[in-house]
Amino acid sequence: MNTTDQGTWRRTSPFAILFFVGRILRLIAKNAWQSLAPLFALLIAYQGDIASKLTLGGIVFAVAITAGSLLSYWFFRFQISDDSILIRQGVIKKKQLDIKFDRIQGINTRQNPIYRLLGLVTISFDTAGSAGSEGNLPAVTRGFANSLRDRIGKPRTVELADTADSKAGSGALVHLNWGDMIRIGLADRRALIVFAFIGPLMERIDENIDRYISNFIRIAAANGIELDAASGISIGLTIFVAVIFLFVVLSIAAAFLRYHNFQLFLDGRTLRSHAGLITAHEHSMELGKIQTLRLQQGILQRLLGRYRFTARQATSGKDRSQKVFIVPVVTAELADTLRKKFLAPEGGRLSQDPASDRFVSISPYYMRSKILFIGLLPSLSATIALSIALGAVALLFLLWLPVVAAASYLNWKRAGFMHDDQEIVRRSGLLGYRTVSLLFRKVQRVTVSQSRYQRRKGLASLRMYMASGSVRVPYIDHGRAKQLRDYILYKVESSQQAWH
Amino acid sequence: MFENPEIALDDLPDTDGLDWERLHPLYTRALRVASAIILTIIALGISALNFVPNLPLAPVVALYALLAIAAAVAMIWPGVSVRRRGYVLREKDILFRRGVIWQSVTAIPFNRIQHVETSSTPIERKFGLAALQLFTAGGSGGDLRIDGLGEDAAESLRVFILDKAGAAIEHD
Repeated sequence: MNTTDQGTWRRTSPFAILFFVGRILRLIAKNAWQSLAPLFALLIAYQGDIASKLTLGGIVFAVAITAGSLLSYWFFRFQISDDSILIRQGVIKKKQLDIKFDRIQGINTRQNPIYRLLGLVTISFDTAGSAGSEGNLPAVTRGFANSLRDRIGKPRTVELADTADSKAGSGALVHLNWGDMIRIGLADRRALIVFAFIGPLMERIDENIDRYISNFIRIAAANGIELDAASGISIGLTIFVAVIFLFVVLSIAAAFLRYHNFQLFLDGRTLRSHAGLITAHEHSMELGKIQTLRLQQGILQRLLGRYRFTARQATSGKDRSQKVFIVPVVTAELADTLRKKFLAPEGGRLSQDPASDRFVSISPYYMRSKILFIGLLPSLSATIALSIALGAVALLFLLWLPVVAAASYLNWKRAGFMHDDQEIVRRSGLLGYRTVSLLFRKVQRVTVSQSRYQRRKGLASLRMYMASGSVRVPYIDHGRAKQLRDYILYKVESSQQAWH
Repeated sequence: MFENPEIALDDLPDTDGLDWERLHPLYTRALRVASAIILTIIALGISALNFVPNLPLAPVVALYALLAIAAAVAMIWPGVSVRRRGYVLREKDILFRRGVIWQSVTAIPFNRIQHVETSSTPIERKFGLAALQLFTAGGSGGDLRIDGLGEDAAESLRVFILDKAGAAIEHD
């Protein structure tokens, strides 16, 4: 199991059954109704009281899942050939997957606690151009994963021998500590989303809370403590704050689970990250495959002075899934040090720090169409349309206009770009900041477009299509846009290097 | 291994004063015929309302009026928009321009093209037209579609671009 010997069909370790149990459970969770319908039908047909129904249901469920995972394991075989990994799987519907080495963009591993005790990992492949196929090798040894990495990685590091000297510096580039976990947790927007979902539920719970509070007040009164409406509100507020606090604690816990002891390494031209409290995640990515680098800062992260740094690879195939390499929390200075390493020897001289004074702002006319079409038009038409029904209250819709105007102004203030002879950095944002950078020579196609109004003002928008999505620089001088376009074409057409 | 001669921005080949290749002259008519067919089907659908008893006249008239406006736009618009479209083949890339109100020029270097496709609908075939589609890597809108080329033009463009793209890939 430790080798990547060729030419024989093999099974993975029996512990892979764990992986298949997980996969079946996920499948059931995804289409709960369809998969549980037969079970319900059985239970309804079965005569008996609720307790025995539940027991029977539980037994049938457990047996079905065990049988399913055993069969999945039994029919799962893989083979390493000269240039690809073949995977055969499927109990009823047979599937054969052929993953070519040169299409593999990265090898990621996951390790749950049981696998960790046994020294096993689950490998998943990032491939370019595969249509949603599941390239997983469950429960193989760590040695096997490393030897597979070597096999796939080696030919490339030989090609790029001139940069191999950086292999010496194998210490971690980034090492996140517990303070960073708290920062990730605090900045987690999912807590807010969960809250939005809970909101409607809260309304229903509200009645109970009301009753609880009035009970509380009654008890307090009985004990000789005067509680008025103000303290009622303060109790409500306390509960509200407690709920938010709970979510923050939860998202900090999630950050610890996912990113505990996060370490980032650079081996030659391969970027590797290792993290996780219970299940250890390991991701890898070839530096040459980076399409865009993003530095993002939400409003909460702004208060913390931290950013989220991501590297995007080419989107793959028909499923259009993003392949993203994440460094969850960095300072702007650290991000700039990292990007220098990532883009060397060509680029990386520019700063992606949004506070950099080298950003050139775009035309203020950028605000006009936003204010006009998102602000003025909707608010006026809403006011007029509803003035009969609502009377003077309809005038409140006009308040929408200053909101949009302020947002457009913020958006314009944050928009900007800078470039040197190799790369371009674009800045955008509304409350937070986002900067995206790309190497000119990796552009797939360019569009210069003008609306009627832009034509009148001699402005244009430049859109650069990358293999990972497009980046737009809006409302810049038309001549400048064309010049940049011509320069990008020159860089692409004279480039002899692979873009991927 | 890596040379990087300095290039003055003004020395780069620009796109001013290029001769834009027009689309096939029959393309406008093909678009009108395609719209006419759809409009006729809709008109037939509306006329089926005649069989509904006790239907007030006003909404039916309104529907016909809307249809008439749509028909007028569908007949006039191709004449305006097709004239704005065009392409230029250069040594290392292809440029395509389009748009009346929102105008845009798209450039695709040949060494980024992954594959090329020609296709035609029955109406296009009737007029001897075909569409050429150029695919580059990446998700959102990673392709450029040029409708309304002559069949021969589309085919020779396909061969020419594939040849260029292939040559570019061999150099890598």
